Amino acid sequence: MDITKFSIPEIIFGRGALKYAGLCAKRLGAEKPMVVSDPGLREAGWVSRLFDVLAGEGMEWCYFEDVVSNPRDFQVAHGALFYAQHQADVIIALGGGSPMDAAKGIAVVVGNGGSIHDYEGANRIHRPLPPMVFLPSTAGSGSDISQFAIITDTRRRLKMTIVSRTLVPNISIIDPNILTTKPRHLVLAAAVDALAHAIESYVSIIASPFTELQSLKAIEMISIYLPLAAREPSLEILEALSIASTAAGMAFSNASLGADHALAHSLGGTFDILHGEVHSVLLPAVMRYNLEAALPKMAQIGRILTGKNIRHERKAAEAGIQSLENLFASLEMKHRLRDVVPDASHLPELCRMAASDACLLTNPRSATWMDLLKICEEVW
Amino acid sequence: MKSPPSLEDLIGIEYSKLGFFREAQEKIAQLHASTLELERRRQQIQAILDGITDVMAVITPEGRITSVNRVFYEVFGGSSPIGRACYNVFRGSDRFCDPCPATIAYETNRLCRQEHILTLQNKTRHFEITASPLRDPQGRPCHILLLKRDVTLEREYQAKLNHAEKMSAVGLLAAGVAHEINNPLTAILGFVQAIRKRLPEVRDRLPQEFRSTLEEYTEIITDECARCQEIVQGLLSFSRPYTGATTAVDLNQCVQETVRLVRHRFREFPGLQYAQELDAKLPPIQGEPSQIKQLLLNLLLNALDALPNGHGAVRVRTFVRNDHEVCLEVQDTGCGIERESLGKIFAPFFTTKPVGRGTGMGLSMCYSIAQAHNASIEVESEPHKGSTFRVVFGLMP
Repeated sequence: MDITKFSIPEIIFGRGALKYAGLCAKRLGAEKPMVVSDPGLREAGWVSRLFDVLAGEGMEWCYFEDVVSNPRDFQVAHGALFYAQHQADVIIALGGGSPMDAAKGIAVVVGNGGSIHDYEGANRIHRPLPPMVFLPSTAGSGSDISQFAIITDTRRRLKMTIVSRTLVPNISIIDPNILTTKPRHLVLAAAVDALAHAIESYVSIIASPFTELQSLKAIEMISIYLPLAAREPSLEILEALSIASTAAGMAFSNASLGADHALAHSLGGTFDILHGEVHSVLLPAVMRYNLEAALPKMAQIGRILTGKNIRHERKAAEAGIQSLENLFASLEMKHRLRDVVPDASHLPELCRMAASDACLLTNPRSATWMDLLKICEEVW
Repeated sequence: MKSPPSLEDLIGIEYSKLGFFREAQEKIAQLHASTLELERRRQQIQAILDGITDVMAVITPEGRITSVNRVFYEVFGGSSPIGRACYNVFRGSDRFCDPCPATIAYETNRLCRQEHILTLQNKTRHFEITASPLRDPQGRPCHILLLKRDVTLEREYQAKLNHAEKMSAVGLLAAGVAHEINNPLTAILGFVQAIRKRLPEVRDRLPQEFRSTLEEYTEIITDECARCQEIVQGLLSFSRPYTGATTAVDLNQCVQETVRLVRHRFREFPGLQYAQELDAKLPPIQGEPSQIKQLLLNLLLNALDALPNGHGAVRVRTFVRNDHEVCLEVQDTGCGIERESLGKIFAPFFTTKPVGRGTGMGLSMCYSIAQAHNASIEVESEPHKGSTFRVVFGLMP
């Protein structure tokens, strides 16, 4: 086995864990943290709950919510300016992947200067970032665990992938309570995203026993709790999805992802599609593309997804993919690319972009942009 | 174009979450270095401030002292004045001085100078106060720097110098008057002598008593005129400007001429015993007579002033010592000179005489005259017993 690495943040998990946000920030030296969130969470009352916690620790704060789904480069720049103007210290992100990735981008620019474009790629961050405390509001993105940040380059209309161990937040506080106010479709989309993380990291060519364990656990839990969540998203079910999503986050942060995410990034960058919604379309097709290259692992996934101990590897793998498609269909999720993307003329360009995405590096079967285009055409 | 990430990049074994430890270390090192540098500069500035011999204080516009230098404690002593009002610390007053140089400097944003006389530890001190505004980066005055220079000695010297100048003006005036008197005096003498010449012609026609009275009177007039002339000559010889031309000088004659000039002062001292011992075989010296007479005059006047209540003896001697030294000596039995003053008596403006009596220039003048003649002055003195001043000339080449 090659030398590998497994790194994750400190994780505080449990119902009501939000109350430790102030203490954690304080331990990291906060006197005036910058809170990054979005209007949805503010309206749901979580932002003011967080403020109460901070006030309880006698802290001041400044609040930034100029963040949209698929955070933009200029929003990061605004956030960094806001941070400097308010002389903030610790960055606290409360939200889904978008506020958390925006917070990471802001932290990079605050700690290193320049613009977020300067840090696109792997390990280009050379100076420390402000301490980060993340509170995920979805069981899916894994951004509170991962070493990745995805920021949209508005000029080039693509998603920049920024990879650095220093992007792993200092502390991740996962409070399943926060998930209870999420709309059902967002909960499901996030869970599908987490499932995609788990599957892609499992078959990744740099997966290690440490990540595989997390991937399998996540696949298993999501396959059980996703249908349940669709019917009745109780706190117990949301908690289980949170555990699964966190496990998937640990796996993909260290093992990276594959072709599905490469395509999802380029789609999201071009058309501003909700990230969680493209996996139901692309993931089964990508799994089919990878099937031969990672047969034993695909078979293992199939056995978990079907819940049946199918001996024959290929059959098990194929049954798994079929079971996944059935699941998405039962959840009334989109399964054709044309439902997501308005017009097919952009697909070649889009696939060329995806071909240079960092996620494609770890895909078990190498893929050119033509291969990716073929996958897209298959699911059109 | 940035190189695309590799698998190794994704695994990132060589990369970790970056901490602030190294940054903090570097910052601490930088801070440490800059602290040392600041301390070094502070000490340098402190040394400069301590090197200033004036009392220095920084005060707020409200008159509160915020810092002082070392000299402050030397002059004013006592405890720290920080936070106290300047008028209270410096003048023991409970309100602002009028006019207050600090307020003027603050309001005009310009330097303000003032002089102030102050009694400190029972001594009257004369201070020159300079108040200059300390400006903030916008150029507005925010504090006032007060410098207090002790100019007591300078002012004393100044006063003495003024007095000496006045005296020299009086001397000049006296010489002018002497010159003016000389002419009528010559006329009076001439006519008296003419009367005396004509007297034998009419002698027989005058009554005996009147004739002898007339003879006696004209003789007195002649004598007194001669005395007047001597005094006038003496004054004139003193006021003659120093030409630098030297001649052979008979010290004994100098003594006689000088003593004649001060004889009138002897009468002010009923208890004075004056004696002079002049060596008849004294060789002449090379010099300027008026200067030597000035020197001797000063020594004589000092001797007279030294006599307590005008009682005592003064003796002037001339003699040859060791075959090659010609000495002129003035000895008195006066109050003598204290040991600690002995080193300073030739310094300009040094005096122990009461205010208004001495200028402190007499002996200093003697010293420079002696120097010009390649002569030295020897002083022997014992408090309450008397002093001896001996001017030692060389033989004429």
